[in-house]
Amino acid sequence: MGSKLTDKKRKQVESDSESDNELANGLFDGVLSQSESDDDDYIASGDEDEDVDDSGSEDSEGTDDDEDENDDGFSSDEIPSDVEHEDEMDKLAKKQEELEITEPGVDPKPRKKAEEEEEGRNYRIEKDANGGERYVYDEIDPVYDSDDTDFNEPANTIGNIPLSFYDSYPHIGYDINGKKIMRPATGDALQSLLDSIEVPEGWTGLTDINTGNPLNLTKEELELVRRVQMGLLPEDVEDPYPDTVEWFTSVEEKMPLSAAPEPKRRFVPSKNEAKQIMKLVRAIREGRILPYKPPEEREKELEEQEEQYFDLWQNEEPRAPNPMHIPAPKLPPPGYDLSYNPPEEYLPTKEEREAWEKEDPEDREKDYLPTKYDALRKVPAWGSFVKERFERCMDLYLAPRVRKNRLNIDPNSLLPKLPSPSELKPFPTVVQTIFRGHDGRVRSVAIDPTGVALATGGDDGTVRVWELLTGRQVWSVKLSSDEPVNTVRWRPTKDAFILAAAAGEDIFLMVPTHASVTPALDQASRDILSAGFGYATNGQQQQLAPGKEPPGKWSRPGTKLEDEGVLIKITVRSAVKVINWHRRGDHFCTVSPRGQRSSVAIHTLSKHLTQIPFRKLAGLAQTAAFHPLRPLFFVATQRTIRCYDLQKLELVKIVQPGAKWISSFDIHPGGDNLIVGSYDKRLLWHDLDLSNRPYKTMRFHGEAIRQVRYHKGGLPLFADASDDGTLQIFHGKVPNDQLENPTIVPVKMLKGHKVVSKLGVLDIDWHPREPWCVSAGADGTARLWM
Amino acid sequence: MDEPMVDAPGQQVKVTFTTTETDLQLPETKRQLLVPADIRRYGLSRILNSESMLDTGSIPFDFLINGSFLRTSLQDYLVANGLSLETNLTLQYVRSLIPPVYEASFEHDDWVSAVDVLSAASPAGRWSGDSFQHGHDRILSASYDGLLRIWNASGQVITTSPSGSHGGHTASVKAAKFLTSSQLASAGMDRTVRVWKYTEADAFSGELKPTLELYGHAGSVDSLEVDGASRRLLTASADGAIGFWSAAKASAPEADASLLPNAHTSKRRRLATSVTVAQRGPLFLMPVHTAPATAAVFDPRDRTVAYSASQDHTVRTLDLTTGAVVSTLATSHPLLSLCAVPRAGGGSPLLAAGTSARHITMLDPRASTAATSVMTLRGHANKVVSIAASPDNDYSLVSASHDGTCRIWDLRSVRPAAKDEGGMGSVSEPVYVIERESLKTDKGAKKRPAGGEGCKVFSVVWDRLGIFSGGEDKKVQVNSGRNVVAD
Repeated sequence: MGSKLTDKKRKQVESDSESDNELANGLFDGVLSQSESDDDDYIASGDEDEDVDDSGSEDSEGTDDDEDENDDGFSSDEIPSDVEHEDEMDKLAKKQEELEITEPGVDPKPRKKAEEEEEGRNYRIEKDANGGERYVYDEIDPVYDSDDTDFNEPANTIGNIPLSFYDSYPHIGYDINGKKIMRPATGDALQSLLDSIEVPEGWTGLTDINTGNPLNLTKEELELVRRVQMGLLPEDVEDPYPDTVEWFTSVEEKMPLSAAPEPKRRFVPSKNEAKQIMKLVRAIREGRILPYKPPEEREKELEEQEEQYFDLWQNEEPRAPNPMHIPAPKLPPPGYDLSYNPPEEYLPTKEEREAWEKEDPEDREKDYLPTKYDALRKVPAWGSFVKERFERCMDLYLAPRVRKNRLNIDPNSLLPKLPSPSELKPFPTVVQTIFRGHDGRVRSVAIDPTGVALATGGDDGTVRVWELLTGRQVWSVKLSSDEPVNTVRWRPTKDAFILAAAAGEDIFLMVPTHASVTPALDQASRDILSAGFGYATNGQQQQLAPGKEPPGKWSRPGTKLEDEGVLIKITVRSAVKVINWHRRGDHFCTVSPRGQRSSVAIHTLSKHLTQIPFRKLAGLAQTAAFHPLRPLFFVATQRTIRCYDLQKLELVKIVQPGAKWISSFDIHPGGDNLIVGSYDKRLLWHDLDLSNRPYKTMRFHGEAIRQVRYHKGGLPLFADASDDGTLQIFHGKVPNDQLENPTIVPVKMLKGHKVVSKLGVLDIDWHPREPWCVSAGADGTARLWM
Repeated sequence: MDEPMVDAPGQQVKVTFTTTETDLQLPETKRQLLVPADIRRYGLSRILNSESMLDTGSIPFDFLINGSFLRTSLQDYLVANGLSLETNLTLQYVRSLIPPVYEASFEHDDWVSAVDVLSAASPAGRWSGDSFQHGHDRILSASYDGLLRIWNASGQVITTSPSGSHGGHTASVKAAKFLTSSQLASAGMDRTVRVWKYTEADAFSGELKPTLELYGHAGSVDSLEVDGASRRLLTASADGAIGFWSAAKASAPEADASLLPNAHTSKRRRLATSVTVAQRGPLFLMPVHTAPATAAVFDPRDRTVAYSASQDHTVRTLDLTTGAVVSTLATSHPLLSLCAVPRAGGGSPLLAAGTSARHITMLDPRASTAATSVMTLRGHANKVVSIAASPDNDYSLVSASHDGTCRIWDLRSVRPAAKDEGGMGSVSEPVYVIERESLKTDKGAKKRPAGGEGCKVFSVVWDRLGIFSGGEDKKVQVNSGRNVVAD
């Protein structure tokens, strides 16, 4: 009944669809009977859909017939038929016909047979559009309770889409043949009223989603629902909870049914189980299986695991008391000021309290302030108890428990006791005169033996003589236009005023014009210089084999230079870098480091004789000097300084300063000490009596040391000149007592020379009496320091 | 004058005024006074000048407390010296000083090695007596170019000495002095001492004529001192000898022939002079020093006594009648200059010796050799090469140094030596520093170059006309010299 109602309701809305249906079927008779239920109708035309309600609707078929007819009448009346309607119907009919042509699975032959049989045939013959025959089969009417699944459902083939999509159409979908499934007619108000009065059994008022038909429940279903509502079992079962029949009981019968002994497995522990358990046990032991713990407990355990405490003195063994053992220090006993009621004098004053509070906790002498309480019971708890204990533990932990045998020596006391520089005055401290005039570097300086004149030689090839104190240039001569003057040295005696200078391969001996050169002195100097010419002309130098070039050629330099006072020129084989006079002034040695065999030469002024003392020299000669007192001759090669006896003509000593490249050396006027400067920045003091190795090595310069020089006038001073533009002045006292060591104290660093193309100070010389020194700088100046 | 003192709030200090000036004595009753504690030199000076006190008008005064000048307020002085305000201060008042302001520069062609002044008050002016015409002040400068120049006070060259080939010096002149207004002497690096006759045609031209060549020294003659009254010269030479010469041709002995320029070298021949001048030798040549002698001075009282300084660290007292060394004062540094400061009480003078160690040592030639150094004047930064005493008093000096300054010293202002200065004796510091005007540029005073390069001062002389100094900057610089040091 429910389905019918919906059917009618739908008819009201979509009557055209129904007529369409009718046309399409072409079976006017029996239509009504079939259309008792529109569902059935659809089922007939559609092949796929299964409807649950099928059986129910079929059941109610017979009873509803009359009403159905009426319904149809009503519906046809209601529909205002029009032309469109019929047109549509025509179209649809045609379509239907076409569709029917293509109906598959029909064999024509049996169809003919059926024609013959007429009634027994289950098809009709119709004309198709082409006028050909076509067979139209009736709907197969499966018998009731047929198992034919095809019949089951009126199939709406719109797919799985909501029915609401068809709300605006008269149909609700298509059957398997493509025909529209018309919307079931819905009843009008009156009908619904009628329906409401007589509610058919199984009516739920719900609509089947798939079909749009009313969803009615069958009797069985209703019964089921009722039972569920009643709280009964849905199935009608006799006894849902029957008593258990204990077929096998745990009770041991006195008289068992079977006399068979209990099987062994009943009382023997199961090996398999034991195996399984052991497996688990092993896993637990190995930690592969952890016993369950709540997560928070597990977390806590993990946290605890991280903090590990060790007892530091856990394994400490009691030691026998020995002086090296120090027991842990004890806390001092409490004093008066720790008392809860200390005497008044222990209480801090206001200022003390403020001072204590102002101090940093680390700086405080004691970490509490004495406080007075009337009674012990008024004393509050000790607030910093935990902190104090902790600090005590820290003290014990950090305190060294073993006495270290540390040498308790002040490192300063290990240093040799050097007098302070201020006690060692006088020594030069500041620049007092600057001698400016050379064009280019000043290569060499020398103060004359009387201490009034300064001679300089420079890159401009000139030799200049200056008034020492004022810095006034008093004399100048240009020795060479292209070669620098490498060295200038005064003849060391006062009986003449002779200056030796070397420019290139030439050595010049000159008598500069100077205030202290009286006519007599001038004459004496000239006599000394020219005395040798007689020797030369007398043929005293004939030792040389004929044809062999003499090592030095003595000559007059020419009138131009002679007018200036340059009287003798000695030409040697290679450029001379060093000149050093013998103390008596008759000999001087020259060194030309590139001169191979003839690098060292000794010149005799009185004989105008040049000799090469070494036929072979181990290394490149750097510089050479005469001993200030004894007939010894020192020659420095790059690594060593050799000392030769000039009388016995033998090697006396080899001094090895250990420097890589010796630049200069000087012999102490006492004769027993030697200072060596090296290009590897070192200044070395040698005690010749002591050892061949340096007594003291000083490395205070940042660059190579160019020149070292002792003070020759009795002051315990020496100085070095370096490429870093500084001079360093040392106090170097050589004691008279042979057992004592020399005292060497650096006293002053003299700065002032500019470093020009990595050259600083090139030469130094001391004043013969005063603590004054003169330096030659690459910056074109010579400076007097005093 | 008393009102401001009464009105002045704050404390008052009791002061006692004293003075050594005879013409400025206060009456006994007025010497003690209460003055405000914050009073300064100017206020004190005004008090002294007021009618109720000295009634002198406007003489500026300076005040000495315990030997040092008052440069702050009295209160500050008391605080600085840790004295209470109740202290009775003794203020010695002296006439105030005027800074030695720069006046002029005389340009030269070469370094100026020596300066001397001829004026009414100068020794030469006094020696010339009536022959010196008042107002004809002359300045003599010696230069490294070997020439002597005579200037008038306004800076015009009146005459220049002839060159070496015409009887002049053949090398740089190192010292020159007026003997009288018509005679002067010079010495130099040609080892000679020359005596010149100076005649003036008019105020703008004159003539220098060599009258005597004195030979004897074997080294550069670096210092010359003259006594115009006896016409004696005293020289110090780099050969360590002290020469005592006569400027009169008649009284001078013959020269040593070996020292005369003879003609055996071509160079000498070339330099032979066209003018023949009498050549004489020394009265005494005293080789008393082992190192270059740098200065020799007459005793200002007794012209038969001389003092010489040398680089051998000694000052020697010489008896010029016998040529013997009387006493030797040893110091610890090479000495480069010497000046005899006469003492007020008479007797032997105080010697100021400039050292190469940048200070001036005051020596008392009477004292034993053990404690000769009376005082040290510290402040120079380079060698002290010339010292001159004030013409007006016996306690002020001017010194010239290679550091490019002249410094004026007041020997009364002393303090005990500090530890780093040796800790012994007393020390004084300069009152004024005279910089070289040539160093000053438009941008103001430049930093003095290292080593005194280009600004060394070689000679200084102090006359009433002013302080004349010559130096490496080729100038004679004139600074006012009146009232520079308190009387």
